[in-house]
Amino acid sequence: MSLIKKAIDWGTRKSPWIIHFNAGSCNGCDIEIVDALTPRFDLERLGILQRGTPRHADILVCTGAVSLQTKDRLKQIYDQMPEPKFVIATGTCACSGGVFDGCYCVLGGIDRVIPVDVYIPGCAVRPEAIISAVVKLLGALEAQQKGGGKDAERRSDYSTVGREIQSFEG
Amino acid sequence: MLLGLGKILIFPGFLFLTVYSLLFEYLDRKVYARLQNRMGPPWYQPLADFLKLIGKEVIIPAEANKTMFQVLPVISLSAVAAAFIYVPVLGKEAIASFEGDLIVVLYFLTIPTMCLFLAGWYSRGVYATVGSVRTLTQLFAYEVPLFMALLAPALIAKTWSVTGMTAFFAEHPLYILINIPALFVALVAAQGKLERVPFDTPEAETEIVAGPLVEYSGRLLAIFRITIDCELVMIASLVSAIFLPFMTGNIALDFVLYLVKTVAVLLFLALMRSVMARLRIEQMVNFCWKYLAPIAILQIVINLLVRGWLGL
Ligand code: SF4
Repeated sequence: MSLIKKAIDWGTRKSPWIIHFNAGSCNGCDIEIVDALTPRFDLERLGILQRGTPRHADILVCTGAVSLQTKDRLKQIYDQMPEPKFVIATGTCACSGGVFDGCYCVLGGIDRVIPVDVYIPGCAVRPEAIISAVVKLLGALEAQQKGGGKDAERRSDYSTVGREIQSFEG
Repeated sequence: MLLGLGKILIFPGFLFLTVYSLLFEYLDRKVYARLQNRMGPPWYQPLADFLKLIGKEVIIPAEANKTMFQVLPVISLSAVAAAFIYVPVLGKEAIASFEGDLIVVLYFLTIPTMCLFLAGWYSRGVYATVGSVRTLTQLFAYEVPLFMALLAPALIAKTWSVTGMTAFFAEHPLYILINIPALFVALVAAQGKLERVPFDTPEAETEIVAGPLVEYSGRLLAIFRITIDCELVMIASLVSAIFLPFMTGNIALDFVLYLVKTVAVLLFLALMRSVMARLRIEQMVNFCWKYLAPIAILQIVINLLVRGWLGL
């Protein structure tokens, strides 16, 4: 039994499929995400694939300060993803609201709506920072799986995995 | 009895098929990546994807038909596995064969496509429905050329069994030259059957998200993915059994030859996938009926003439 679980854990670490959602960003960060998916950075080396549908995805990569219009949609997309799932907040806006903080129409950060696992500051973030964040998320996940991975109730703690702010000097 | 069961379940049957199909997916993605000047995924990537999907939560949409939603992936996988029994892997002999198994194999290969259509239909999503209707439209376009292209060599071999055709063409390898247009038609139509670029309109991820599989998650998606990989192996084996049956007579060598031939077919399909862009659905239907079907009919006429001329 534990062998099967180990195999599944290994698979989870080796094949993160992402879905990208724009929660009211200025589009700068989105272009950087698209940039990170180009052949130049070759994310398939790490097993990362971009999927169109939340049902296939493991990691939700969000950008933007969550405008009131996108709030419900963001929640809905998150709910549609199957467990275990992770969220990466990409860009200063997604972390804290950034330049839009205090604006009447934004909530100011992804974590006001859904739990976030990794924050990547930067305006706009660099593709290297996004890749590094995914690798750190997977590293933290591995530590978590190796550490307290004996009960089946691993899902509930996933939302706190690797809750760390990482900065990237590019 | 036990030996037969072992052959069907382990080698060269189901277990071999799944392992080889994971390897095939890796090769396909690696070649695709190398042609795009990338490194590509590591060798264990398809296995990791499969294991991950097995471990994920299965979500069934509230409006979907629960039974059909869960049964369809299993049916399609078993249809492909059943078809694989009739294709020669070790030498000239398939695990089982009878006169007319070519037709059975072709119909078994239609089942996964139908399952894909039903899967999209029963998921009740907008994207899934659009995708499944496209799957069905595409089926009508490539199925006829594919059938005709695979049946044309049967006219020369004068047998309707895959094993019989392999044996015939292995004895008379030069007849293969006549069938080159049919080989071309079969490869292009196979690309349509497998829903790969340029015929991936049904699952076009940039316009209709993921087509019929949009609502699938977890192990149901894993089974569907492995079905598609197995179908790839199946088509490659079928094409190499019918069109490239060069044999040495030694079982081990023949098996190596089988691997070489199927990988060659895969390389061709991967090349086609990398250098082309997606067609619209009506372009695809037009292409199949305007060019592929006439070539296949021409092939049948040629084969009939050759047969009469040589007095076979
Ligand atoms: S962090 Fe900067 S680039 Fe990114 S969405 Fe906000 S304003 Fe745009």
